[in-house]
Amino acid sequence: MGQTGNTEVAIEASHIVKTFGGAIAVDDVSLRIAPGEIHSIVGENGAGKSTLMRVMAGIIEADSGSVSVYGEPVGSGTKAAIDAGIALVHQELSLVPEMTVAENILLGAFPTTFGFTKYEELKEIASAALAEIGVSVDLDERVSRLSVALRQFVEIARAVARQPRVLILDEPTATLTPAETDYLLRMLQRLAEGGMAIAYISHRIPEVFEISSNVTILRDGKQVLSSPIVDLTPQEVIDSMVGRELKQDLESHRVANPGEVVLSARDITAPRVNNVSLDVRAGEIVGLGGLVGAGRSELVRAIIGADTRTSGRVTLTRNGETVTLSSYTSAVRNGVGYVPEERRTDGLALIMSVSDNIRLPNRQQLSRFGFKASRMITEFAQALADKVGLRPPEIQREAGQYSGGNQQKIVVAKWLGRKPDFMVLDEPTRGVDVGAKTEIHRLVKEMADNGTAVLVVSSDLPELLELSDVIHVMRDGRITGTLTRDEASEQSVMSLAAGEAEVVA
Amino acid sequence: MSQQTTPAPAAQAAPTEASRLAGILTWVSQNGIFVFTAVLILFALLFVDGFGSLFNITDVFHRAAPIGIVAVGMTFVVISGNYLDLSVVAQVATAGVILIAVSNSHGLFLAIIAALAAALLFALVNGTAVGIFKANAVIVTLSTTFIGLGLLRFFSGGSIFFGPPDGPIRAFGLGKIGPVPYSALVLVAMTIILGLLLNRTNFGFLVRSFGVNESATRLGGTNTALVIIGAFLVTAIAAMIAGFVLAAFSNTAVSNDGVGYEFRALAAIIVGGTSVFGGRGSVYRTFLGVIFVSVLTNILVLSGISFGYQQVALGVLIVLAVSLDALARKVAKR
Repeated sequence: MGQTGNTEVAIEASHIVKTFGGAIAVDDVSLRIAPGEIHSIVGENGAGKSTLMRVMAGIIEADSGSVSVYGEPVGSGTKAAIDAGIALVHQELSLVPEMTVAENILLGAFPTTFGFTKYEELKEIASAALAEIGVSVDLDERVSRLSVALRQFVEIARAVARQPRVLILDEPTATLTPAETDYLLRMLQRLAEGGMAIAYISHRIPEVFEISSNVTILRDGKQVLSSPIVDLTPQEVIDSMVGRELKQDLESHRVANPGEVVLSARDITAPRVNNVSLDVRAGEIVGLGGLVGAGRSELVRAIIGADTRTSGRVTLTRNGETVTLSSYTSAVRNGVGYVPEERRTDGLALIMSVSDNIRLPNRQQLSRFGFKASRMITEFAQALADKVGLRPPEIQREAGQYSGGNQQKIVVAKWLGRKPDFMVLDEPTRGVDVGAKTEIHRLVKEMADNGTAVLVVSSDLPELLELSDVIHVMRDGRITGTLTRDEASEQSVMSLAAGEAEVVA
Repeated sequence: MSQQTTPAPAAQAAPTEASRLAGILTWVSQNGIFVFTAVLILFALLFVDGFGSLFNITDVFHRAAPIGIVAVGMTFVVISGNYLDLSVVAQVATAGVILIAVSNSHGLFLAIIAALAAALLFALVNGTAVGIFKANAVIVTLSTTFIGLGLLRFFSGGSIFFGPPDGPIRAFGLGKIGPVPYSALVLVAMTIILGLLLNRTNFGFLVRSFGVNESATRLGGTNTALVIIGAFLVTAIAAMIAGFVLAAFSNTAVSNDGVGYEFRALAAIIVGGTSVFGGRGSVYRTFLGVIFVSVLTNILVLSGISFGYQQVALGVLIVLAVSLDALARKVAKR
């Protein structure tokens, strides 16, 4: 294990600054990691961790600052970083699903003779890389057929196969079960003992204390502190991340007063969804818990018709009138709102204005004979921007210029304007700062208090527990249990989500 | 907390080298056309013999009108993010042949109805394949060009159709107000109408929104197939009108009348600053692009430069314009 004060430095980043369209993402951050050291970089979502790591791996260019490996300055671009021995394991998996495990591990570095791939050698190197991290998986299997956890390990093998001197991992445990996480942490410790310098991004504090020797804390792009882990307590780390002392007790639960069933989904079957039925009542918030890949997003998309369902029937009842929802457009027309999981690709048109984004689902009421009513649009959008607390509340700005939290508020605003009878929110606060999160929670509760039936998918357990009046937990495309507010706890949700037996690799 | 993460104007960092470059490139690729067109016309007036003559100006308008009408229509397909509609080649020719042949045998009214029906058919086939089945627009419209031209040659027997020496078609084709032929007025009218359609209606908004983000547009409760079919229909109707204008001017029609229109229209659209990546652009810019391309071609003709070199110049122009568009986008992303 590397000691602080060790004179040898594997990687050093000094005074890194990176801005995106005027917003500062990394603000003068310096970092040094010794060989054999595991250095954790922690911070809330949007604190600049991923940006810093992407700068170090040459994926994005810093506005100023420099990176060096073993004293040698690293040139710009991904190739220079790879040549210098820096390997990055992405937060989003970057494997090619239709290629085999072996091909993915050596993607971009196939051994060749005269341009022809040497498959025997390719497999040998891939198998050595897997052996080094202690994972066994069929080299010829297509990646699309692997579990999320195995894909994550293949991703790591891919980095390791390049025999890097510096390994950067960006939230590798985000989608793993506790047992899988444990396995991964042991693996990293072995790699560090072999002399690799490891930069480890996480916001799971226990993991950080378990494996790292040093920690750097970022907040709003700034370096709050870098310190040996032994000098800190978990509470101190959390306080530094958040910038204030986090209250341990959550906001008070609202008193739910559910009315009639508004949405009724019966026997829904779709890819990754197996014969699920559920009801949501007026004024009720129903939570969907489970691990990533359990089929929750697929279920809600099948219910509202955003994806086609193989079978099943969905009805929406309002004012005593029942309609069957057959397509997504009919669902929206009949009072369904949907905040999708991926706001940047599915939720917003980033290069269009806030006003245009809000106009999209509300365009019919904001037009006369198909022609837009500009004044109405401006007033309508401004009122919603104010209501959701958009900062700054400038509706002519491009949506893409706002931070993640504000972008999410725009997506919520789009649908609030329609006063939906049934509202679906998929990971409503992922990648959102604490302030925006509180605000979005307030809006969701307010919507329910006003009689909307709400269905929330969340992997954030405290959020799920705070919002939901009742929680359905999914695993492998089925609802494995339903918990009332009194029964629900992080432990009870997780045990239903993960199931009894967990096997790694 | 939340205030800190908001990029409030006061907290904005000074513009970096990269963002300044992105700004310049974006400005040039989107607004350069205003400057370029003005400079080009000024240059032509000062240095090119015969450019300013009434006869020449009328000639430029005559040539610009049908290409421009196709281009302002096709702008909808480009803004929807579907690159272009190659089948305007077949649409222009079909309209011309229908106008002359059908009005000879059945009268003008039925000729217009028949041309509209043909436009609708093209739009439905293109729009269905692209909008519903998500097929690639370039390949689909390349194929419908073949289908359209094949059918046209089959029905027309490949012959040239001549209109009557006088009558409404001829009167329209040759009519002008001062140096401005009626066809140019049709182009102006189409530009205004389609400009309003794109900028002021829900349909136009959805075409643009689709070009920016298809998924978000669909999830905003939009029947996106109808939007795409609509974009192809606007293009097809414009191409039909262009075919009419072209045939009325020459008073003849043959099945290869539309050859080269797809490329010239695309040149006008791209040079005008509409992005091939979808979402950004306007009908008015396309109008300016048409003026630019037509004046440039005219200068080359007046300077006695051969047709081959004119083609080279147009090709080089498009490569430069699309590269600039792509470069601006790439730099902005960094």
